[in-house]
Amino acid sequence: MDDWNYKPAGDLGLPHEEAFKSLKRESGLFSTALHWLWWSFVRTYLLIWHRLKVEGRENLPKNPPFVLVANHSSHLDALVLAAPLDSRLRDQIFPIAAGDVFFTNPAISAFAALMLNALPMWRKQCGPHALEALKRRLIDEPCCYILFPEGQRSRTGEMLPFKAGLGMMLAGTDVPIVPCYLDGCFEALRPETKWPLRRPITIHIGKPLRFDTVPNKRAGWEQIAVDLQAAVKALGPAGKAESRPSGAPMLNAPMKSLHD
Amino acid sequence: MSTNERLFNPAHAFEHPVTCWVTVGLVIALAISPLIIRFLAATGRVSDAHRQELWIRWRSWLIMTPLLIGPILLGAAWTILGVGILSLLCYREYSRATGLFREKVISLTIVLGIILITLSTFDNWYRLFMALTPLTIVMILTVALFADRPKGYIQRTALGVLGFVLFGHGLGHLGHLANDDNYRPLILMVLVSAEMNDIFAYLAGKTFGRIPLCPHTSPKKTVAGSLGGLILTTALVMFLGQYVFEGTVLAHWYHLLTLGIVISVVGQLGDLMFSSIKRDLGIKDFDVTIPGHGGLLDRFDSIVPIAAVVFHYVNYFVGVGSDEPVRIWSTFT
Repeated sequence: MDDWNYKPAGDLGLPHEEAFKSLKRESGLFSTALHWLWWSFVRTYLLIWHRLKVEGRENLPKNPPFVLVANHSSHLDALVLAAPLDSRLRDQIFPIAAGDVFFTNPAISAFAALMLNALPMWRKQCGPHALEALKRRLIDEPCCYILFPEGQRSRTGEMLPFKAGLGMMLAGTDVPIVPCYLDGCFEALRPETKWPLRRPITIHIGKPLRFDTVPNKRAGWEQIAVDLQAAVKALGPAGKAESRPSGAPMLNAPMKSLHD
Repeated sequence: MSTNERLFNPAHAFEHPVTCWVTVGLVIALAISPLIIRFLAATGRVSDAHRQELWIRWRSWLIMTPLLIGPILLGAAWTILGVGILSLLCYREYSRATGLFREKVISLTIVLGIILITLSTFDNWYRLFMALTPLTIVMILTVALFADRPKGYIQRTALGVLGFVLFGHGLGHLGHLANDDNYRPLILMVLVSAEMNDIFAYLAGKTFGRIPLCPHTSPKKTVAGSLGGLILTTALVMFLGQYVFEGTVLAHWYHLLTLGIVISVVGQLGDLMFSSIKRDLGIKDFDVTIPGHGGLLDRFDSIVPIAAVVFHYVNYFVGVGSDEPVRIWSTFT
């Protein structure tokens, strides 16, 4: 027989409001049921209202841990990215959301925790501790993160430079990072509009990248940000236009040199 | 009283003297507690931090008391529903503390088991109530097979069985007491004597306590506290019991004495059982649901075994709800 291998919930002993914000929050039966309902609703909504199309689904890893990164231009983005994932992973998918937007008001915080299963990233004071905690959880549990490395929504639809903080979390790990390009989200829900318009949305899922050989220091983190941005961009309309003449998978080129 | 009146009608709430006394007593206790805390603070008998703690505890009782007494006064249906909810919340705390909540299928089975126990109680279907325990245990052992993961099977299922037996079946007996025509004074006596048992033991321990009772399980408990609790709680049960059981064989002094000793001893043991569970898991409190008290299980730990023992004591000698129709809702004629 095994030794005792059960441990209390990570957020045990925290009052509800604190538990919602905690990076150690775990789902019970009730929140699992809510996640299931919520993601079923979202998936149906996206299919009907936005005629959601997924390209490159075969690139998704079968089991956690993995991280999905994408361009960020609307509040629909996290929902769209989570929708094509296997429904048995629903409790293991954590969108990483801006703490100052989703976790300051108790009602929104409850929604973010109970329905979206989001974990907070505090943009102003996100120290190495929080990133380390996120990294540990990603690998140990294991789970899937949905991340927007631009750090904010683009107000124009143009991609912003990726932040290096993401690199701090991923450098030196074997976790596959899946670049995705979201097409149509900006048109469907612009920053100035309140309700989503009926516009088609397509997700382009690229081949996963790994950064296990990248050194865990500033140069490495910045390299990861640059590589991921190139990989996401290459999936978008601009990247496709560029890569078509040569036919070479341009996103693999800079990666090769890092691994050698 | 007809079955419908017992279940839904609060008009008979204050027919029994014990119900009146307990309700009035609790209202008075809640009303004068602030004065006592102020007096203790003014005379310098408690530190500032302790005084804050007492205020927090008082505020929690102010919310908890109506939540406990309200359903009992309103009707048996509300009492049974309240016990069902309490069972679910207690199981939630237990599963989060032990880590069993990560086994979603086992947890779901236990939650369904608790819901069925509540429904069988509402139906006064004692046979189903009793059958649900072995059936749920078989179910837990069965659903745990589907993961095809034999490593840790004994632990997972054993934790599940313990959880269901304690909070579904054990605590379910408290709800089943509501099927007695005379349920209000009976349940109130159980709740009040279980809570007073804690308070008596605490006060006696504070005053006379020197020799620790079981330092590894619960370092603050003393032999004197335990004995003080035993004597005072037995006296309380003998006093209330003679009215609760008036006209039945249980009103004899030797039955009341036995019942009093049983409630006090089993209550204190219940306290120690959950202390052991906490020590084993390395946690201080089960949760922070009740400010100043900890989790629900930190407050109601002694009720879990008392409910089952009192139920069967009463059921053996006079029968719980034996005059009431059985299978109220599930028989179709």
